[in-house]
Amino acid sequence: MWDNISLLLGGPQGSGLESSAQVLSKAFARLGYGIFADREYFSNIKGRHSYIHMNVSSRRHPISLSYPVQILCAMDAETVFTHFQDVEENGVIVYDVSTLSTRSSTIPSIEPKLRERLKAYFSELGLSDTIQSLIRYLRSVKKIRFVGLDYPKILSEISQKFTLNPGQASRYLSSIIVGSVVGLTGLKLDAVGYALASRFAGRQQLIEHNLFIIEYVSETVREGFRILYELEPSKIGLEKMLVASGNDIVAMAKIVGGLRFQSYYPITPAADESFTLETFERLEVEGESLGSLIVTQTEDEIAAIASAIGASLSGVRSATSTSGPGFSLMVEALGYAGQIEAPVVITYYQRGAPSTGQPTRGGQSDLLFTLYASHGEFPRVVLSSGDHLEAFYDTILALNLSEKYNVPVIHLLDKFLANSIATTPLPEIRKVVIDRGKTVFEKPDFKRFDLSRPISLRAFLGSNTIQWAAGDEHDEFGHIDEDPLNRREMYEKRMKKIEIMDSEIPSENRCMFFGQDGVKLVMVGWGSVKGAALDAIEAMKAYGVRCGYLHLKMFSPFPTEYVKSILSKFRPENLVAVEHNYLAQASKLVTQNTGILVEKSIVKYTGRPIYVNELVRALNRVLEGERRVVLEYGA
Amino acid sequence: MVRSPNDYRTDVWVDWCPGCGNYGILAALYKAFAELQLDPTNTVIVSGIGCSGKTPHFVKVNGIHTLHGRAIVFATGIKLANPTLTVLVHGGDGDLLGIGLGHFIALGRKNLDIKVMLHDNRVYGLTKGQASPTLSKGLKTKSLAQPNILSSLNPIALALVSGYTFVARGYSMLSEHLKNLIVAAIKHKGSAFIDILQPCVTYNDIHTPEYYRKRVYFLEEEGWSPKVEEGNEIDKMFNAIRKSFEVERIPIGIFYQNTFKQTLEESYGQRIPSYLKTLPPWQKILKDDGSPIFDDTLFEKMFNEYIVKVEKS
Repeated sequence: MWDNISLLLGGPQGSGLESSAQVLSKAFARLGYGIFADREYFSNIKGRHSYIHMNVSSRRHPISLSYPVQILCAMDAETVFTHFQDVEENGVIVYDVSTLSTRSSTIPSIEPKLRERLKAYFSELGLSDTIQSLIRYLRSVKKIRFVGLDYPKILSEISQKFTLNPGQASRYLSSIIVGSVVGLTGLKLDAVGYALASRFAGRQQLIEHNLFIIEYVSETVREGFRILYELEPSKIGLEKMLVASGNDIVAMAKIVGGLRFQSYYPITPAADESFTLETFERLEVEGESLGSLIVTQTEDEIAAIASAIGASLSGVRSATSTSGPGFSLMVEALGYAGQIEAPVVITYYQRGAPSTGQPTRGGQSDLLFTLYASHGEFPRVVLSSGDHLEAFYDTILALNLSEKYNVPVIHLLDKFLANSIATTPLPEIRKVVIDRGKTVFEKPDFKRFDLSRPISLRAFLGSNTIQWAAGDEHDEFGHIDEDPLNRREMYEKRMKKIEIMDSEIPSENRCMFFGQDGVKLVMVGWGSVKGAALDAIEAMKAYGVRCGYLHLKMFSPFPTEYVKSILSKFRPENLVAVEHNYLAQASKLVTQNTGILVEKSIVKYTGRPIYVNELVRALNRVLEGERRVVLEYGA
Repeated sequence: MVRSPNDYRTDVWVDWCPGCGNYGILAALYKAFAELQLDPTNTVIVSGIGCSGKTPHFVKVNGIHTLHGRAIVFATGIKLANPTLTVLVHGGDGDLLGIGLGHFIALGRKNLDIKVMLHDNRVYGLTKGQASPTLSKGLKTKSLAQPNILSSLNPIALALVSGYTFVARGYSMLSEHLKNLIVAAIKHKGSAFIDILQPCVTYNDIHTPEYYRKRVYFLEEEGWSPKVEEGNEIDKMFNAIRKSFEVERIPIGIFYQNTFKQTLEESYGQRIPSYLKTLPPWQKILKDDGSPIFDDTLFEKMFNEYIVKVEKS
């Protein structure tokens, strides 16, 4: 029995793969397994290759992904051609026998570079570029096992049984994939039924049809091929689990954190969060309303941030959610929020950049941008999260810090987190605190920018006060004032907040160190690097090397003293930046703030996540003396 | 306490050029606020950048002086978060129809209850008189090096097709008439727009008080009826658009008013019943001890669809 299985499920975008991942995730969770699943897709609605990379564990909630996988389920020939090298020796590939004669050179959706690589691969081995010849080769040389199913035949049986037209029947293609996984892993059908009922609540016929195919396919696989990757019963021991994407968990946190206004302009990979928020706009639990949540789609991102700042002035917790191109448009208003000391939260999901970059792929190349965006100097918080639960608590922290210190807060996430589905324990709501900062509701001659304290009292528009605000330098009332001495006082009042935040925000919110005594090599990373880094620490033990990981979370104000206290114990050549960008941006900030050089770097900017297998290999290369390793694994 | 126009003045020195059209607008504003006895704590003027952008500092109601072109969108958030506020936007022609044009159009589509006052002097004053979007092609105002090479746009027609439900034009030198328009705009429920013609004594030597005195006439004196009755919305709008293209004689007054369209806040209120019942700023989000109104049980109930109950084996 297995305690951990990795799966790849691939097929054309728009063919139900995302639903399959949700159904499988919930089905595994129903039986107590932990899952972590990344979704990779093109910027395309229908037809281009997409895949789910899923890690299932009976021992823990997986936090990373690795190659090779045990199982590849291919909806189409392109998936086989794209991923056959990702499957381990003795692994299994499920494929459609009706595609045996399909040639890689004739699939139009395969990108030219991959087609060239395939051509070179086949010609080197003297193979023809059909699925059939590839299978023959992989079976004999790589010992890969194949499960061939006749997908069109299965679908036609479905359409006859339930009198569906071929178009309707084709929508069940993804259930063949789910069925294969069920067959190969011995996943209980009850659990699948539970997951389907949860995914397609109220659509009884859909559930019935899906369940029928899944059962049919799983039996075919089990009886015909007798391959079983049976998972041992779960040892995680939770009664309940949260199964959610990063987008979803941030949305939940915003609701718990008291958000009342969210504005957004549609952009990948941020928009799903706003979608989820909108489904909860009535904030109702069992018919009882806890308030209202206005989610508004604006005409552009400038409008999104400006209206969020406006809503904040009216006294509600407000946020906007975006990605790089959207944030680029927001930067003028970011400085405005800094200047008028307005709270606002920007949830920022990084994607492949610059410009349009890779809209549906991941990256961490916007860190320096978020720190320095907008002209002039003003205090801001830049906070990043490394996994789903961190993102939950950090979302609420972001709302608190923005109101407590009257500053804009950028909550820096990325596509990997946004689109990956993970099981986690339920967040502990009883540990959550809401801090709205100091407010005043009635005050004649109210000075919004009172110089007697760096963090002024905030009043809501519409309370018993009159207030002014201006992006211009202003006096204590908010009126324009260009006096040089007033300028100095106001400037310093604002900037002083950086010191105050630095002294008040606990270091555990800003940085974490993972590592025991005797650590030789310390990885320095942030955001989604966390999971791979932590698992690499474990994996490196097999090589007799103790590694540590410094997980940076807050970049403004930077946890200088804490970082210094950790890193100063190591020699610069034993510090290695691990980041999803070219410059190793966070390590530059470490040096800038602490004077400590992080000499080595492992970077990846292909748009795909860092996988544990490649990170471990890279760490070994670093130990052998390489200064910089560039990762590139993944389709 | 009855408030007089003077009660709405701040003691900030008004630093517009002597003779600027903005003085007429400001005077009309004080008078309109006094006539409506607006509560200063519940009224917000939001402005952009430029001479008009300074307006809020001179008025003793809440004043948010924002970014160039963005006053409308800051106002949108302010109003949506607290729909009981009276929210006015003051912006120039460059601000609202140049850099901020997208927001100007979007507000019409929303029909959110915000009043937009366009300070229309056809030049960018504070940057020394460049051509604005309302300056006609071929005209060469004082500081232009060459005649304006771009065509002008028609703010009234644009507001109409964008969906504003109250569209009017005033003239800064006719302060009493302008006051009446502002009062009507504030009383209207929905996105309201007033194109306020104003001379720029320093940079616009074409559209002078003299220019306007010869051309301006009152719509109401010619029997114009702006109000949409059930079923004639399109006719009314087309008539108003046609009217807005008169240039030799310049009509001022209310061009169009439609009271049949739902406002954005009403639409939200219909979808989310508690929105207008307890205003968002006054909704409870935490308990006295600082914990959120959510607890573990409420969390599980609300996000039930994301929670999987593990089957006991």
